[in-house]
Amino acid sequence: MKILVAVKQVAALDEDFAIRDDGRDIDPDFLIRDLNEWDDFSLEEAVKIKEGAGEPVEVVVVSVGSGEVDESLRKCLAKGADRAIRVWDSGVEGSDSIAIARVLAAVAKRESPHMLFAGVQSSDQSFASTGIAAAAFLDWPHAAVVSSLSYSPGAKSAVFRRELEGGLLHEVEIQCPAVLTIQLGINTPRYASLRSIKQAAAKPIEVLSLADLALGAADVGEAGSLSRVRRMYIPDKGRAQLIDGDAAQQAARLAEIIREFKGAGA
Amino acid sequence: MSRTDAVTRILFEAFSAAEVRLFYLLGYAAIAVFCYGAYVQIRKYRRGAALKLEGGLGARVAAMLSSVLSHRTIDRRDPAAGGAHRLIFYGFMLLFAGTATITLEYDILEPLFGIRFWHGDFYLVFSLVLDVAGVALIAGLLYMMYRRGWLRLPKLDYARPDRVPGDPDFNRPQYRREDWAFLWLLLIIACTGYVLEAARLVWLQDRPDIWDTRWWSPVGALLAQGMRALGLEAPGGAVLRHGLWWFHGLIALFLIALIPYTKVKHIFTAAASLMVRDPLAAQRLPRIPDSQQQVGAAKITDFNWKQLLNLDACTKCGRCHEACPARAVGAPLSPRDVILSLREFAQATLESGAVPAAAELDIHGKAPGQVAMETLWSCRTCMACVEICPVAVEHVPIIVQMRRKLVEDGAMDPLLTKTLQTIHKTGNSFGESKRKRGAWSKALPFTVKDARKQPVDVLWFVGDYASFDPRNQKVSQVFASLLQEAGVDFGILYDGESNAGNDVRRVGEEGLYEVLATANVNALSNASFKSVVTTDPHSFNTIRNEYPDFGGKYEIQHYTTLVKQLFAEKRLQVTKPLKYRVTFHDPCHLGRFNKGYDAPRDLLALLGCELVEMGRCKANSFCCGAGGGRIWVPDPVGSEKPAQNRMKEAAAIPGLEVYVVSCPKDLTMFEDALKTTGNEGKFVVKELIELIREAIPAQRAEAVPA
Repeated sequence: MKILVAVKQVAALDEDFAIRDDGRDIDPDFLIRDLNEWDDFSLEEAVKIKEGAGEPVEVVVVSVGSGEVDESLRKCLAKGADRAIRVWDSGVEGSDSIAIARVLAAVAKRESPHMLFAGVQSSDQSFASTGIAAAAFLDWPHAAVVSSLSYSPGAKSAVFRRELEGGLLHEVEIQCPAVLTIQLGINTPRYASLRSIKQAAAKPIEVLSLADLALGAADVGEAGSLSRVRRMYIPDKGRAQLIDGDAAQQAARLAEIIREFKGAGA
Repeated sequence: MSRTDAVTRILFEAFSAAEVRLFYLLGYAAIAVFCYGAYVQIRKYRRGAALKLEGGLGARVAAMLSSVLSHRTIDRRDPAAGGAHRLIFYGFMLLFAGTATITLEYDILEPLFGIRFWHGDFYLVFSLVLDVAGVALIAGLLYMMYRRGWLRLPKLDYARPDRVPGDPDFNRPQYRREDWAFLWLLLIIACTGYVLEAARLVWLQDRPDIWDTRWWSPVGALLAQGMRALGLEAPGGAVLRHGLWWFHGLIALFLIALIPYTKVKHIFTAAASLMVRDPLAAQRLPRIPDSQQQVGAAKITDFNWKQLLNLDACTKCGRCHEACPARAVGAPLSPRDVILSLREFAQATLESGAVPAAAELDIHGKAPGQVAMETLWSCRTCMACVEICPVAVEHVPIIVQMRRKLVEDGAMDPLLTKTLQTIHKTGNSFGESKRKRGAWSKALPFTVKDARKQPVDVLWFVGDYASFDPRNQKVSQVFASLLQEAGVDFGILYDGESNAGNDVRRVGEEGLYEVLATANVNALSNASFKSVVTTDPHSFNTIRNEYPDFGGKYEIQHYTTLVKQLFAEKRLQVTKPLKYRVTFHDPCHLGRFNKGYDAPRDLLALLGCELVEMGRCKANSFCCGAGGGRIWVPDPVGSEKPAQNRMKEAAAIPGLEVYVVSCPKDLTMFEDALKTTGNEGKFVVKELIELIREAIPAQRAEAVPA
C-alpha cells in the first residue's frame, strides 16, 4: 500500500527583489524557498492515512527540481514520509506545469501507488494544473480542491468532499487509484522540529534522471511544454500627486493638468 | 565511686535482660526498615538517566553545608519560618547527636575499647545542652503548628491551579495529614523526653549523684519538682519512667524507620539536592547530545537521577508557588504542583521491584501524576521558582525538557508553530527580510559600522525586538547615538545576525536553537571585536551562558554596565539632571538570571532620579509575562496578564512618574499593560536609555574621538 505525494519547493519574494536579466523570472538571489503551503496539507493527509491504517502504508514524496529542493524534501521526511524521490535534469528548466506533470506521471508509473496526492496549486505560479495534468497522463480519475477525505488504504474507492459556491458541499466517490489535489484546511499540518529534520537526513532521497523514467529531452523543458512565459514584470502604477497651495493656486494647477491630458489625447 | 564516675546517663537501669534484648531487636528492625526504604529511594533515582556532575565533591559538600547550617535559603522571604526551622533543625540535630554519642559509647567504644566519656562534667554540660535543644525543638514545632493552623498562608494551601475541585488530586489532603502527623510526632517525642527525664529524677531522687545534679537538666528538674508537688513519689516515678521510656523509645524508632517513606526524608533529599545544585540551571539549559535520538522528556525515566532527587527534595514550602507569575494571574501552573505531580508519578512507577512498561511511564497528560500541556505552556521560564527554592529544586529545566517533547509532537499553540517556522525561514520572529535587520540605523546621521567588514572595539548584538519592533527601533537609535557621542568604536552584524535563540530554546525547540546559536557563533567568530554589548537581556543571557557550549566564548555586557563605565570615564556626562520619581523593573534575564541588579540603579542615581522600589524587586522581580516564548502567544482573553498585575503594583507608588525598564520586550509588554490597566496619563513607561538621553540633551559636539 503506497501513497505518492507530489510536492514543490516554492519561491517567495524577499522585501526587495529584481527581475532576472532575461525578464522572464525573478532573480533567484531575492527568493526565499520553502515547501508549497498546499503540499503541507496533502502530505499531512497522506501521513494521517498511514498512521490510522491497520496495514503498513508507505508515503513517498516526489518533487522535480535541483539539489536545493532536498531541504524541503527533508522536511517532508521529518513529518512522516518514508522516502523521497527527486527528479532532475538541466533540461527540465523552462518546463511548464504540463511538462512537470509528465515527469510526475512517469514517477507514478514507476512507483505504482494506490493514490497520488498533490496540492491544489503552488503559491508561486498558481497554475493549479500540475496534479490534474498528471492524472491525464496516467489516465486516472481525478478530483480537484478536495476539502475532506475518507479513504481506507487499499480500498477500491474513496469518498471525498469539495466545497462549492454558495456554501454547497459536493460529496463524491472516486475509483482508485486516483489523483486528488488537496485544499488548504483539510487538516492541521504537523510541525517538523529542526531536530526531526536533522534526523530525517538518515532517510533516503532518491535522485532520478530523465533516463531513469524513460523520458527524453523532448518531454521536458520548452520542447515538452504547451506554454512559455514571455515576460514577468511589474505593471506601471497609477500616478497621483498632491497639489499644494491655496484654493486659487490649486484650481489653476488642476486646469493646467486637464489641459495637458486633453492635449495628449488630441 | 567518685562523683565523676557516678554522674552519668541512666540507660537501661531496672530493665530485665529480656526487655533490653527486645529493645535492641526493635532498634535493629527500625534500622533495617530505614535501610530498605533508603535502598528503594536510591534505586528509584538510579532508574533516571545518567548525569555527570561538573565540579568537585568537596566544593559541593561545602556549599551544601553552608546553606544548611546557615539556613540562608530557608530564611529568604520568610524569616519567621526560617527561624522556626532553625530551632527545629538545631534542636533535632543536637538531640540526635546526643543519642548517637550515647550509642557510640555504650554499644561501640566501651564494649570494644573500654572507653567511657559519658560521665562527670562532660555529661552534665551535655545534659544542659540537650535540655536547651529540646526547648528549641518544641518552640520551633509550636510556631510551625501555629503557622499551619492559624496563619492560613496561601502558599501552604495545596489547592492546585491546574486542577478543579473534585479532581482526585485537587488539593491533596494526604499532604496536610502528613504535615500535621510529622509535627505532632516530633512534638510528642520531645515532650515525652522531658516527662521521662522528670520521672527518672523523681524515681531516683534518693541518689545524690542524680538528684544533686538535676538542675543541669533544668526543664526535667522543673517538671520533677512539679510532679513531686503533685504527690508523685519514687515508686510512682519508676512506673511512669518505665512506661514512658518504652513509649518515647518506640516512637523515636518509628520515626527513624519512617524517614525514607515520608516527608521526613527531606532531611537527606534536601541536603543532597543542595549538594548537586547547578547555579546556572535555568540560565544554561542542557544540550541534547547529537547521538541521542529522543528529544525531550516523555517518560519519567527520561529525567536524570538528579532531577528525580530534586522531586523528592521538595518540602512543599510553597515559595515557588507564591513567586510564579503564571500562577499569580490564574494560569494553570504552579511550579510546586509540577514537582509534586512528577514526584507522585515517580513514586508510583519507580519504587516497585521492576520498572513498568514504557507506556506506563508517560508523564504527559491529565491523569494524576501527569503534567498537562496547558500547564507546561503557561511557564514563562522567568526562573522565579528556581531562584527562591530553598532546597535547589530546578523546575525550569524540567519544564523545558517536557516542552521539548511537546514541540517534537507539535503539541503547541498554532501561533507558536508559525513563529518557529518564521524564525527558521527568516532568522527573526518578525518574519521580516534578513536584509532589513540593520534598517533602523538608516535614520541616524552617521553610519553604524558593519562589524562583518571592519574591526570594532564593541560589537553590539542588537537582537530581534531592538532591530525590528518600531518602538524599540527608536531606543536602538538613541543608544547608537549615545555610543557615538561617547566615542565608542562600535558596530553591528547587520543581516549577519540571527535571533539569539534564548527564547526559542526556552520554548523547547532545541534543534532550531542549535541552528540559531551556531549561525550567530559563526557570524561572531568571523568578526573582529573586543567585547560584545547588547540592549537585550534575553540575547545577553544566551550569549553569556549558553553560547560557550557552542564554541562561542565572548566577553559580553548588558548596556547598563557599559554605560555606567562610560559615565565613570566621563565620556558621558549628565547635563540636565532628571528629578523624576521612578521605579525600576528588573528584567528576569538581567536580574535573576545574571544578577545585574546594581548597574541600572546606579545609572538612575546618576541621572538624578528618585528610585522607589516596588515590593517585588531584584531577585523577586515579577516577570512581564513575555519569557519562554510567551511573547509570541497571547494570554487568554479575559484573564489578567502578568504585565497588568505588575502595572497595578507600580501604580500603587504615590507620585510615580516613570516606570523604567531596560529590556525591549519589557517596553513592549508594559506600554501595552499601561494602557489596558487604565494608567495611561498617570505615569509613563520608558527605557532607561531614553532617560539617559533626556539627561544628556545636547549632542556633545566635542565627542571624544575613538
